[in-house]
Amino acid sequence: MVGEEAIIGGPILDADGMKALGAALAITVTGLASAWAEKEIGTAAIGAMAENEGLFGKGLILTVIPETIVIFGLVVALLINSA
Amino acid sequence: MRLFARYGGDKPSKSDKKKKGTSNYAYAVTRVRAMKSKLLPRETYPRLLNMSIDEITRFIQESEYKNDVDELAMKYSGGDLAEHALNMNLALTYRKLLRITAGEPNYLVTAYLKRYDVWNVKTLLRGKLYNASVEEILESLVSGGELTYTLLSELAAMATYQEIIEALKESEYYPLLQEFDGTNLAYIENELDKMYYSGLFNAIGKPRSKDRKLFARFIKLEVDVKNLGTLFRLKKAGVEQLDEIMPLMIEGGLELKIEKLASLPFEQFVEDLRKTQYWDAISGVVGPDMDSLTAVESRLTRYYLESATTYSHVSPISIVPIMDYIIHKSNEANNLRIIFRGKEAGLDDTLIKDQLVVI
Repeated sequence: MVGEEAIIGGPILDADGMKALGAALAITVTGLASAWAEKEIGTAAIGAMAENEGLFGKGLILTVIPETIVIFGLVVALLINSA
Repeated sequence: MRLFARYGGDKPSKSDKKKKGTSNYAYAVTRVRAMKSKLLPRETYPRLLNMSIDEITRFIQESEYKNDVDELAMKYSGGDLAEHALNMNLALTYRKLLRITAGEPNYLVTAYLKRYDVWNVKTLLRGKLYNASVEEILESLVSGGELTYTLLSELAAMATYQEIIEALKESEYYPLLQEFDGTNLAYIENELDKMYYSGLFNAIGKPRSKDRKLFARFIKLEVDVKNLGTLFRLKKAGVEQLDEIMPLMIEGGLELKIEKLASLPFEQFVEDLRKTQYWDAISGVVGPDMDSLTAVESRLTRYYLESATTYSHVSPISIVPIMDYIIHKSNEANNLRIIFRGKEAGLDDTLIKDQLVVI
């Protein structure tokens, strides 16, 4: 995409590169964050379910709520790329 | 790997027990909270009081104690059945707690449950000293600690206390038990208690994090409640010499200044208690002309249980909710035991009710 002159003479990261990195950061960090949050809630939900199976539905819903974090990350990544 | 280690029954080695990274607070705490929601609700107790022993056994059989009652129904009947079922359930519940915790909470729960080892050793010595039958001793054993039920029944089957002490050679209690000569049981029992608490405080270490601080506070409160109960009894019995009282006190309480309280006569002792946090809990039943200590003791226990619940809300993902469950569970077993033993002895319902600690 980037012309040869730019690679040789220009800065290491041009505007496009910065954008790509920003989008990558947005999706990576939010992905890790929601994974961590879901791990905590998921183990807790399993713990509650082991004692009372009726909590399966509630546990499932609570477990996927942190998924919103990574969805926001995805939105931000798309916004960065389309700007 | 941790998963397999846990279900394989291997405990993590001592060095990694203290690491917070391997602990599973979220899992353990929610599971324990779900277990706590299965404890008998307070409305059950008035109903139980209206039942006969067989009905109570039946009621227990239909509750969380089902498996234990079913398993033991072949061997025992009536009050003995319920007693054994309660003890077995308690022991199994505590073993389950050890199974579902890992890392730091496992380490702390193990340290806390050593109280049942102490309890069992005391029961064994007392039983042998007074020539109780093996059956009678087995009835009072709760294998909630590190000593298993198999080992305990072997110990109970031994002929004399000397043999029991020899058999416990590997345990940490041996140096103390060696001092037992058949006449100083009270001294040994007190020292075992003190040893347990100093061991527990050692396990907690110097608390730095918020939840450890709360846990330490929780244990200190327990020490205070125990000391206060002993003090009330001693004062009521007219013991006022400091050197008689102090050996009976456990060190490391939260608020009570034991040395000062111990030297006061009863009226002033009560007056001094007004300044402590325990006064609100016991003010209704303490007075110069009080004749029974039952009410004071059950109110103190109640205060202790309620404080534990409050602490567990302050630090929701920590060791405290697990401890909260442990003491509520043992309180429930106690209550049930009081009810059917009271019924068996033909006590009046109001008398039984006074002994219950219903939260």
